[in-house]
Amino acid sequence: MQPLAAQPTQARSSRRNFSFGAWKQGVLWTFLTLYAILTLYPLFWLVLSSFKTNAEFFNSPFGLPASWQFSNYVTAWKSSKMGTAFLNSVIVSLVSLALTLFVSSLAAYVLARIKFRFKAIILTFFVIGMLIPIHSTLVPLFILMKQVGLLNSYWALILPYTAFALPTAIFVLTAYLASVPKEIEEAAYIDGTRLWGVFWRIMLPISLPALSTVIILSFLHFWNDFSFALVFISKSSLKTLPLSIANFADGYQTDYGLTLAAMTIAVIPTIAVYLAFQEQVMKGMTAGAVKG
Amino acid sequence: MNASYVRRFVVLSLLPAILVYALFVFVPVIWSTYYSFFDWKGIGAAKYIGLKNYVEIIHDTIFWRAMKNNLIFLVVSVFGQLPIALVLAILLHKSNALQRFIRSAVFVPMVLSSVVIGMIWQYIYHPQIGILNFLLDKLGLESWKLQWLSDTKIAIFALAPPLIWSFVGLYLIIFISAFQNIPGEIHDAAQIDGAEGTRKLISITLPMIWTTVQIAIILCISGSLKSFDLVYVMTKGGPAHGTELLATYMYNSTFSSYRYGFGSAISTSIVLISLIFIGLSQWITSRKTKA
Repeated sequence: MQPLAAQPTQARSSRRNFSFGAWKQGVLWTFLTLYAILTLYPLFWLVLSSFKTNAEFFNSPFGLPASWQFSNYVTAWKSSKMGTAFLNSVIVSLVSLALTLFVSSLAAYVLARIKFRFKAIILTFFVIGMLIPIHSTLVPLFILMKQVGLLNSYWALILPYTAFALPTAIFVLTAYLASVPKEIEEAAYIDGTRLWGVFWRIMLPISLPALSTVIILSFLHFWNDFSFALVFISKSSLKTLPLSIANFADGYQTDYGLTLAAMTIAVIPTIAVYLAFQEQVMKGMTAGAVKG
Repeated sequence: MNASYVRRFVVLSLLPAILVYALFVFVPVIWSTYYSFFDWKGIGAAKYIGLKNYVEIIHDTIFWRAMKNNLIFLVVSVFGQLPIALVLAILLHKSNALQRFIRSAVFVPMVLSSVVIGMIWQYIYHPQIGILNFLLDKLGLESWKLQWLSDTKIAIFALAPPLIWSFVGLYLIIFISAFQNIPGEIHDAAQIDGAEGTRKLISITLPMIWTTVQIAIILCISGSLKSFDLVYVMTKGGPAHGTELLATYMYNSTFSSYRYGFGSAISTSIVLISLIFIGLSQWITSRKTKA
């Protein structure tokens, strides 16, 4: 897949459209640019408002802050355990990510490269997972976690996160690894490398592009999750960012600058990931789209 | 390498994935179906009541209200998101700087947490401090000002713009990659045959990406039946069940009213309804292709 390569025919057709009416093109692109700006505006508003005082937030919601209230960020971080929530999100996301990558790449290697019985059944078993609505598992998972005493622990999030990331990860990685030529492994076998060595030293490095898709996709899911955290975590010292922000609004209901600063802090990592790996994020979304 | 070594490697490599996945995805779904035949408050003994929970669901006006709201979401997704995304994709599948900018901008909400999305739009709709009513005031349209999220009749429709806003980018990217997978020769052949502009779009480009449109419709259906976070954050299903969805009703029944069995029955219904709708959409869209 070469998503962004402009094909010569397309260039030709765009030239033809251009001669067809420059002013029409002008109107069209102005409209599209406006649409893009309108789409970005809520985010822009979020960041601007996070620097405002309450009075300003109320009186001039569209203007620039008269004086930039950086203190909103300091207060949000300190007074509301944002630091703890941030750390919780980092821990839960990173551990889930590591688990997802290890478990899914090993399974994908076996499913893509080794012949054995029941392979098709196992693959189907995983792919079905992409159609299962997360919420239909909330009640039984809650009961399960309660019975084994996992509620209010990092594992209450890490295990379901990993489990729900597996179908997409295995799907993406298996498809990628299946396209690797046989000769590469055969050479390694002749040199005496065994399966674990082939996986670790050949397959893992080769699947780096697919792995990065899985990394980004899973990270965004883990970092942004709300439902699992809402149901499985009630202890305030274990709350992740989305959950603590949702509660934040209740606690500091009237301090808008503060709430918006907290929201901005939560958004920064995902926007940073997005800006740094734009093409990869978009490609990943299409690969993982089956998950919905 | 001998066969038993390979077999051991296969089993050991697949085991962690199968265990985690089965335990936390597969078994819960089956378990949920099992619970749906019980009357259970989460503590004490569960009482087997057969299909009573499902009978109650059929007579439950709130359930049908939630169902109707889910259908509104489904219609908004299929007839709101998909056409916008398709038009944008047709205009943006080439790649100059402006097109890349618009594409990225439209996609940005996809990477945000639904909590943040919900809260931003809550502020936009806020009756006193919200920028929507502020703007209407400034434009002299005071009479258009509404209690966007607290009016039972309006609230569900007020949720449509954030829904569209957050997901258009996904479908845009799906459609763009479908366009790029159409081989260049087909465009050339069409050109030689004299097909241009709209004609080319209708008789060549759209049929060629029809499978992708079908997939997008399935995603819209399963996505809209899964909607939960955004609504939970913005309205919690209120006012007076005005924005109740199947998933929020399931959550509220289970975790606010402590009716685990009933909540499980709703969960199971969601899975069933999703499957029925996906099947239906497959049937309808594949008939269209043959015609």
